[in-house]
Amino acid sequence: MEISQGGDDSHQKKFALPVDSEHKATEFRLFSVAAPHMRAFHLSWISFFACFVSTFAAPPLLPIIRDNLDLTATDIGNAGIAAVSGAVFARIAMGTACDLFGPRLASAALTLLTTPAVYCTSIANSAVSFLLVRFFTGFSLATFVSTQFWMSSMFSARVVGTANGVAGGWGNLGGGATQLIMPLVFDLIQHIGATKFTAWRIAFFIPALFQTLSAYGIFFLGQDLPDGNYSQLHKSGDKHKDNFAQVFYHAITNYRGWILALTYGYCFGVELTIDNIIVQYFYDRFNVNLHTAGIIAASFGLANLFSRPGGGMLSDLMAKKFGMRGRLWTLWIVQTLGGVFCILLGKVGSLGVSVAVMLIFSVFVQAACGLTFGVVPFVSRRSLGIISGMTGGGGNVGAVLTQVIFFRGSRYSTETGLTLMGVMIICCTLVITLIYFPQWGGMFCGPASKGTTEEDYYMSEWNSAEKEQGFHNASLKFSENSRNERGKRIGSAPTPNNRTPDTYV
Amino acid sequence: MESYLLAAVSLATLTFAYTCYGGVLFSTLPQTLAVSASPTDGQVLKAGEDNITITWGLNQSFPDGTDSSYNKVKLLLCYGPTSQEDRGWRKTVDNLSKDKTCQLTIAHRTYMRNTQNITWMIERDVPTAVYFVRAYAYNSSGNEVAYGQTTDAKKSRNLFKVQAISGRHSSLDIASVCFSAFALLSVVGFMVLEKRGRSSAEN
Repeated sequence: MEISQGGDDSHQKKFALPVDSEHKATEFRLFSVAAPHMRAFHLSWISFFACFVSTFAAPPLLPIIRDNLDLTATDIGNAGIAAVSGAVFARIAMGTACDLFGPRLASAALTLLTTPAVYCTSIANSAVSFLLVRFFTGFSLATFVSTQFWMSSMFSARVVGTANGVAGGWGNLGGGATQLIMPLVFDLIQHIGATKFTAWRIAFFIPALFQTLSAYGIFFLGQDLPDGNYSQLHKSGDKHKDNFAQVFYHAITNYRGWILALTYGYCFGVELTIDNIIVQYFYDRFNVNLHTAGIIAASFGLANLFSRPGGGMLSDLMAKKFGMRGRLWTLWIVQTLGGVFCILLGKVGSLGVSVAVMLIFSVFVQAACGLTFGVVPFVSRRSLGIISGMTGGGGNVGAVLTQVIFFRGSRYSTETGLTLMGVMIICCTLVITLIYFPQWGGMFCGPASKGTTEEDYYMSEWNSAEKEQGFHNASLKFSENSRNERGKRIGSAPTPNNRTPDTYV
Repeated sequence: MESYLLAAVSLATLTFAYTCYGGVLFSTLPQTLAVSASPTDGQVLKAGEDNITITWGLNQSFPDGTDSSYNKVKLLLCYGPTSQEDRGWRKTVDNLSKDKTCQLTIAHRTYMRNTQNITWMIERDVPTAVYFVRAYAYNSSGNEVAYGQTTDAKKSRNLFKVQAISGRHSSLDIASVCFSAFALLSVVGFMVLEKRGRSSAEN
């Protein structure tokens, strides 16, 4: 056990991990479950994983469900769209809920409030009831925001990227794991003696119970902040409550947030769409049995184990050498390649090659998700929560759009839909070229010639009255820390205020 | 990267070429079998409860010797057009190895010259849909050589409906409702506990 650093002698608290002056952990130890930091990490990724398992529990069993409920391709498409559309606004609202109630209560409450939808999937008996249960279950995907918020509260800037990337990636893993778990559970229940049409109903109790247990775990074992819960802590003067209207205004007027929301729709949104359609695709096109289709589909989501965290780490690596421009270029290249492999996936007609292409596609698409959240923290400091929520919500919008256009009804066969979706990914990813930071540059342009600094960019979010009261100090600290986004090739000496750097790329 | 793409694309085209050569085409099969089933046009039958009696044999208007290659007969329950609409997984395709019209097997018998019949209880996992019955005759190598069906070529007459079991049981219904109520009560419980924690911290 180590004593908290930062020279504050009055704090007698001892933490298992080294911490900074805010008691946020400065190290990320994956195999530790020490309270409060690593315990918060494990509780949050497990509950996010559980929510993903529940939201995508229906697709692997659709070949059975569509016969039981007499669903048409349109019904199935609509339910898939409903499953991802609920979280669009829920993700944005979740940021506010975390601010008000703390991530522990917000995520435990949301997780528990959506479990009745999962339990009631067992009693669905029509296309409408099926759509409704998938819609309400989908709200649970808003726990993404509470996961990221909680990690940002527990881990310092140096490791928060890794914590966020691993928590996000391992949660997304649920979308893959469920394609394995549900057919297995269904098989088991069928063997015990239930008929097909009863077995799938019983199978839904497994994700529902898992989700319930994870919510209980968060409530009883978790803690909002390193020093305690929101309700216990006496809020001192130096954690001032920001003006919601100002934060909201600065979030929606920053065009970069909107661009990233759009592009996240074509990596994360595409990932959600594939989670919804991939089992039926392999089952119907290649005539494999449900079990095999589930295993193949699972491998898509399981790549999240390393590909999303890998994307985040790649972003940090590129930033060391090339700064923010490196992050943007890498994001554009990786996501465009994801689009190329998506086109190929629709064209390939044999099972073996199809699986191989799908795996390569999954790595690129999930890495793009990790790369996106390598850029998001720098778009705004004051409105980080809402920008993150907007980007997350944009991901779900992308999932809704792609399913509405390509995978609903019988207008396109699934393989044509995949190819066209790949073309759309490539087109929509082009907007990354429009992102420009005056202090660092964009993909095609260097930083502004009049020498805008990081302080100029982040201080523009505060007016003079707020600056007088010193509310902007956190942003000031962040500006200093973000200077390494200039990369190695651009002037390594620290720039004095308002002076033009001599060289820029 | 490009050589990978090239290899993948050429592999794909080769396999495309291969699949084109497999499977008998339905349009080449003669309709030499006479098949009839007990359900009348539009009748609704219950899965797991009702029976169908099917009679099949060579249509007598064909000369003797037509059935010399017939080895086995398979009876299948096939989807009517309304149950195939907007359901790509039940699509009719001429190539029989890809055709998804008839997915449920009723019986698989050795072909005999005289007329045969069978009474079949509709199994519990038959989905709700509109159906007709078709019989395929196979030769000794296992390829389809002839067929017969209870409906006409347009599949518009003599279709019957099967009503499937719902799969729901009252015990499942009760369990779902109870667990859901428990989850909702837990949220309320959490709020109460939090409020108590806050007021005791303030005191």
